[in-house]
Amino acid sequence: MRLPADVQAAIKKQLPKLIKRPFRRDVDKRFKSLKDKMIKEFLNHRITKEIQEGPQGSASGSLNGVTNLFAFIGFDDGDDPIAPILTIFENIKITQDTEYIQKGVGRKYKIDFPTAQEIFDVTPMPWAIGRSWAQGIEVGISGLGYLLRKKAKGSRSGVAIQSSKQVRSAKFKNTKYISALINKYKKRFDKLK
Amino acid sequence: MIEQFQHKFTNSFMLWFDNFLMTKGQAYESVSGELYPVLDERADSDYSIYASSFKEWVYDSSMGDIVTGVIDGSGNTYGRNDGIIFDYNNGRTLSTGALIEPVTPLPATYLKKEFNIYFTNDDEDDLIVDRKYEFGVNDTGAIAPYDLVVPAVFLSVNGVNNDPLAFGGEQETKVTAKAVVLAEHPFQLDGVLSIFADSQDEVFKSIPMSGHPIDENGDLKGALDYTYTGLASEYEGKPFYINNVTTSKLTQRALKELTNELYVGFIDFDIQVHRFRFS
Repeated sequence: MRLPADVQAAIKKQLPKLIKRPFRRDVDKRFKSLKDKMIKEFLNHRITKEIQEGPQGSASGSLNGVTNLFAFIGFDDGDDPIAPILTIFENIKITQDTEYIQKGVGRKYKIDFPTAQEIFDVTPMPWAIGRSWAQGIEVGISGLGYLLRKKAKGSRSGVAIQSSKQVRSAKFKNTKYISALINKYKKRFDKLK
Repeated sequence: MIEQFQHKFTNSFMLWFDNFLMTKGQAYESVSGELYPVLDERADSDYSIYASSFKEWVYDSSMGDIVTGVIDGSGNTYGRNDGIIFDYNNGRTLSTGALIEPVTPLPATYLKKEFNIYFTNDDEDDLIVDRKYEFGVNDTGAIAPYDLVVPAVFLSVNGVNNDPLAFGGEQETKVTAKAVVLAEHPFQLDGVLSIFADSQDEVFKSIPMSGHPIDENGDLKGALDYTYTGLASEYEGKPFYINNVTTSKLTQRALKELTNELYVGFIDFDIQVHRFRFS
């Protein structure tokens, strides 16, 4: 049985408003679950964990055991390089909730999802303006930060400076990090509409 | 081994970089002065060598006056027909026999590059922390021929990656190349970084190594009217496209840890070309 046209039109007009709350509740739940999953995956990433261990962290396997990643990049004691990334991820929000009218009835949500570049912009190398350590994880990091940090320490304390020849074996192996995470979860968030 | 893609890229990139820096930044200066007699164990003992106080002389005639001869202490002039070899990269001349001193270049005022350009496989930390450099100009004599002299730019190729592009086997080849810039002052460094930050979307020709204008002595292979644009126009084929450029520089705090008083910057290039493998 086919509904009369005026009834169909009335349903189409009223339904989006009626379903707004239950839809939003459901979407919010799925959004939060996905966001939590993404943040958890980021915090459990080997690179994140190594950096969060700070200057006292154990020597990194990705650096042949010569030093830890925190020191290799050249961070100072007290630096929290992960915090700006975490802030961006925690600030992912649903910014729009509108009626979906192209096909059928429903609601459309816009999610303010960061790009990899936005992450790179808030993760500067401690020794270079314009370079990102998070991008460096993906494309390569030289031992320059480590050497400069060693020199600074040596010049202050009189400790012998480790030459770059000794650092050579600590060559960093490029690792999939932010870009891969962003690409993976962008697709998943897109499916929430 | 015959020439491969990476050889061709290296040659093309270096020639383009050198020309782009000089053209967009007028990164050369007029100089003059005596050529000093020097000894060079690597050169044939038959040669008498006279070197300037500077390193790389400009050899692209479109920039202005380049060295095309020498004049000795008696006022006699000598050129290529008299057996003079111009080693533009080392800023010197080689002659088969001693000349009466003082020897000066012809023309008396000529161009030298503001930045010496080197190609390297060394890491950043080697270049910046370990290496010792001579500074620009030796006021009292010749500069040693093979010393690394700053201001300088060290070019390197970080990696090459192929992605399938079209049916028939055409690939999109992506090359990541890097330049480490060692400058004497911030103005100079910012100038270079700015020029190459704006090089995004530029294209440059693929020039085989056989097309390199300089021979094993550092002299021009052909006539002394070489220009990069003239050379590039001789080559057809798909050019290299500069897809993305990122510039960065060492912080002031990091600079304090360096032995030399250098200002250090980095230019990271993402370059691509459409090609078939092994071409």
